[in-house]
Amino acid sequence: MPSQAFDIQRTPQETKLTVRGSLDINSAPQLGEEIDKLLANKPAHVSVDLSGLDLIDSSGVAALVKLYKGVRSSGGNVVISGARDQPLAIFKLLRMDKVFNL
Amino acid sequence: MAAPIRLTVPGTLRYRGIAVRLVAEAARLVSSSAQRDPTDPLDNDVRDPFDLAVVSAFAEIFNNVAIHAYQRKGGGLIEITINPGERELVIEVKDTGRPFDIDEVAPLPTELDEASLPEGGMGIHIAKTMLDEMTYEPGPPNLWRLCKRLPAARAAVAGRS
Repeated sequence: MPSQAFDIQRTPQETKLTVRGSLDINSAPQLGEEIDKLLANKPAHVSVDLSGLDLIDSSGVAALVKLYKGVRSSGGNVVISGARDQPLAIFKLLRMDKVFNL
Repeated sequence: MAAPIRLTVPGTLRYRGIAVRLVAEAARLVSSSAQRDPTDPLDNDVRDPFDLAVVSAFAEIFNNVAIHAYQRKGGGLIEITINPGERELVIEVKDTGRPFDIDEVAPLPTELDEASLPEGGMGIHIAKTMLDEMTYEPGPPNLWRLCKRLPAARAAVAGRS
């Protein structure tokens, strides 16, 4: 099993979240905890790279929505990129592709 | 129709991966998709639209059973019966946990913006939209029946192979 479905890198300019493999009900809670820590710092710019993400479920979507809304509510900016295949289909089905500019 | 494929697992999320992998392989039997790396036993890549729909829907239903029916505590089994046909895949998921009120699932907002982005309640919507048919009979035992059909053009090709 992959050790972790995501990693977070912080620079003075931005916070970058890279998600890979499967983001689902088993991995999303751990990401949610990291998102809580990330949001506490009120980041001005967060980029989310989903190019390595193969599968997502509603729990994974919920974690990304939490990140998006949390950053935006404190005046920050979120750029989500790289969604493809199953994850992109899920975002389209949920009509989130336009909100996330995918 | 081929013989049913059956899997029974404890009703916890720990066994979700096993069940999802089995369903993914069954979907590939029907779609004849070869969209995975056969040398990688952990390959999660799902690109064929049929496989994608089946796996996405089933995963949500498994989540629902483990979280709502068994309240994340387990204590019961999830019985999965997969019927792979030439042109469709039918999956039955049976549990003995709490019945679920499917009518209480709120619809997604018709117009989505930043403020209305939902943070929950999306699983049943994903499953229903991905499938051709989805029914639920509250029990006990509770029974989900999921059906996905190949598009007509692909079914014709599958029938010739």
